[in-house]
Amino acid sequence: MRRYLRLFMLFIGVEAQYELQYRANLVANVLQQAMVIVTSVAAVLILFSYTDSLNGWSIAQMLVLLGVYYVVQGMIDLIFRPSVERLMEQVRLGTLDYALLKPINSQFIVTLRHMRLIQLANVALGLVIAVAGVVRLGEGLGALDVLAFIVALATGFVLVYCLLLVIATLSFWFVRVENLLVIYGAFVDAARFPVDIYPGWLRVTLSSVIPIGLAVTIPAQAIAGRLAPESLALMLAAAVAAWLFSGWFWRRGLRSYTGASA
Amino acid sequence: MTRAIIEVDGLTKTFRVAERSEGVGASMRALVRRRYKDVPAVAGISFRIEAGEIVGFLGPNGAGKTTTLKALSGLLHPSGGTARVLGHVPWKRENAYLRQMTLLMGNRSQLVWDIPAADSFRVLQEIYGIPEAAYQRTLGELTELLDLAPLLHKPVRGLSLGERMKVEFAAGLLHLPRVAFLDEPTIGLDVSMQGRIRQFVAELNQRHGVTILLTSHYMADVVALCKRVLVIHRGKLLYDGGLSALAARLAPYKLIGVTLRDGETDGELSRYGEIDKRGEGRVTLRVPRDQAAVTTARVVHDLGDRLADLSLGDPPIEDVIDKVFTTESVA
Amino acid sequence: MIGIYRALLLASFQSASQYRVTMFLYLLFSIIRPVIFLAAWTAVAAARGGTVGGFSAADFAMYYAIVTLVAHLVTSWNAYEFEFEVQHGRLSPKLLRPMHPLHQWIAENLVWKAFTLPVMLPVIVAIAVTFNARFTAEPWQVMLFVPSLLLGAAIQFLWNWIVATAAFWTTRVNAVTTLSDRLGFMFAGLVAPLALLPEPLHTIAYALPFASMIGIPAEILRGGLTPSDVLARLALQGVWLVLCFAGYQAVWRLGLRQYSAVGA
Repeated sequence: MRRYLRLFMLFIGVEAQYELQYRANLVANVLQQAMVIVTSVAAVLILFSYTDSLNGWSIAQMLVLLGVYYVVQGMIDLIFRPSVERLMEQVRLGTLDYALLKPINSQFIVTLRHMRLIQLANVALGLVIAVAGVVRLGEGLGALDVLAFIVALATGFVLVYCLLLVIATLSFWFVRVENLLVIYGAFVDAARFPVDIYPGWLRVTLSSVIPIGLAVTIPAQAIAGRLAPESLALMLAAAVAAWLFSGWFWRRGLRSYTGASA
Repeated sequence: MTRAIIEVDGLTKTFRVAERSEGVGASMRALVRRRYKDVPAVAGISFRIEAGEIVGFLGPNGAGKTTTLKALSGLLHPSGGTARVLGHVPWKRENAYLRQMTLLMGNRSQLVWDIPAADSFRVLQEIYGIPEAAYQRTLGELTELLDLAPLLHKPVRGLSLGERMKVEFAAGLLHLPRVAFLDEPTIGLDVSMQGRIRQFVAELNQRHGVTILLTSHYMADVVALCKRVLVIHRGKLLYDGGLSALAARLAPYKLIGVTLRDGETDGELSRYGEIDKRGEGRVTLRVPRDQAAVTTARVVHDLGDRLADLSLGDPPIEDVIDKVFTTESVA
Repeated sequence: MIGIYRALLLASFQSASQYRVTMFLYLLFSIIRPVIFLAAWTAVAAARGGTVGGFSAADFAMYYAIVTLVAHLVTSWNAYEFEFEVQHGRLSPKLLRPMHPLHQWIAENLVWKAFTLPVMLPVIVAIAVTFNARFTAEPWQVMLFVPSLLLGAAIQFLWNWIVATAAFWTTRVNAVTTLSDRLGFMFAGLVAPLALLPEPLHTIAYALPFASMIGIPAEILRGGLTPSDVLARLALQGVWLVLCFAGYQAVWRLGLRQYSAVGA
């Protein structure tokens, strides 16, 4: 475990050196993400110029949710997506073999090796919005709320991680799996609002097959003090199930890749 | 019987391939019931390799070389037979085994292109758990042997093909494996870079006793490095033995080169043997191995003063191998 | 010219059919984004007991169904590839042909629209039905929608090209594109119907070209505007078309000079 942590830190260090080479890119990227976030906040403010509450969410709670949205999206694009995209490329080029020959857990090295540290800007800006929302909420945060928030956030990451792992694993059998990432990307956009405002089909999609809606809404509910304990429990259970399934599916895919079944 | 480093016994790998059907109707039927065909890639091969050997693995494309290497490095689960490398069953992929072997594929890169090789090496050090002192020692040695110093701190994408291959070699050998599988390590490189790599492989084998099994399309690699070769064709082992005996075994003829001062008239030389080729005044004759000496003597006797030059030798190994693979007669 | 277009359309059609799966999936983006804001405004309307500034839930549904359609019909994607073409020297061969590259881009656009409309239409109808949309436009409004839509498409096309020519000067076109995208997000009528933008955003919206691309055609087809309102908006679109065309010609000429000066 310690060894894996050290390795993970090393991955980060290597990527950091790379990103720092292109400082001008960094600035341009931060600027871009700032534009995206400012306009998104403006959109929320326009909606709230007509009402005090959107489906029971106050403007402060809504800001928290938007902040969490950018934190979650940023974290996923920071860590999981780059590795998954790289994996698909490696399967296509046949260089995945090298990763599998390393004396180390294959799922670890394949899903966490590459990252796009520039996305940290997104996470940081998201945190600023979320904190602004919390300040506007007025009521102080209880330790229990913070704990529930952290648990919900971590659980959300696990859910999305599992989804991406399953998509990545499919590339052992199918060639054009990046199409699934396109679908995923299209739905991510919808997580900027609480899932409960959506019509049934979209709400169900965002809470099950593409659980990005849950990953954003539930942590935001925890901070906004409107989280039902059973939602969190349900989400935890789902994450455990997803973790077990995706791990099994990955091993299954690997076995088929190395031809154990033939 | 002592344990060899690599022991392969009846290794078999059969791929199941969906049969391609033509026409819309056939495609529709295939959706419902797919028909599979078993394609044997490796059909029961056995061999042993002792510690410190360099063995060349020869065969045309699709003969089963890469499949065998992949099975021995643990990437492929065979359909039958057994194999032990360093006492491990490769496809169990135990960390203890993976730490002691390497697989290098000349046409596939393992380095991250955007970052300098030195950074990738650090990651490898951590992955293989190489102690700092050993790491510095090996890196220093590889740097010296491969002349890496100017390459380590440039992003890999900026290196030429030859430079990249040297860095790839270093990446694959940082943990000083005891067994190295090299799949076409010199592919696409120019002649002088091929020479460098060859020299390096020989050094590695001499200094550290690394056991090496290598495939190559370039016979020069094999001739320079391997005393012993395995020839594989259509998944079967055709030959296992010394390189020089290979020519005798697979090519039951020798070549006599004749150059006449006044040139050949009316194809007169064809009575001594089959004409292999003619060019620039020189005629090459192909004669059965057991008659080579007698025929040479006859040429000298008959043509005497007219001879400008005469030579007797084995056919080039490429041609021998080529002939075997195209005629597919099992020797 | 007709012969050239026939050939261009055929070629675009063939390359489009190769990538159709990926292309159709990208449609999801064009569908989901309006649904997001439709759902949000429906929730606002519900919180206010029915209407927002004269918009009922049914009006929002109609409006966003129309926005989806309009946005799909006016959007042009190929400017996004321009940066790649400039930086990898793919533009040079196109400049060597005795034909302005614009024509190829127009052809690609037409084919992409024709290809995807049969999929988009039923989806838009389905969204309209799910949200109980109510169609209230009168025939003359539907008729005037057509020129407005064409103007919108032309404005958007030229504007995207003005933005894309930034590739002649900088390698970081992304930052410029993002700025334009986000302004469009705010002011084209997606976040909110133009009429619902609070001041001063409402005024800014009409002072920028984005409203003329999507918001104005959508307003006209939704109905409810008087004839003089509609004509004023068409006139505004006309002004933007002229401005964008002049701007495009200017930056294209300057950019080419820059491009050939650098040598690619």
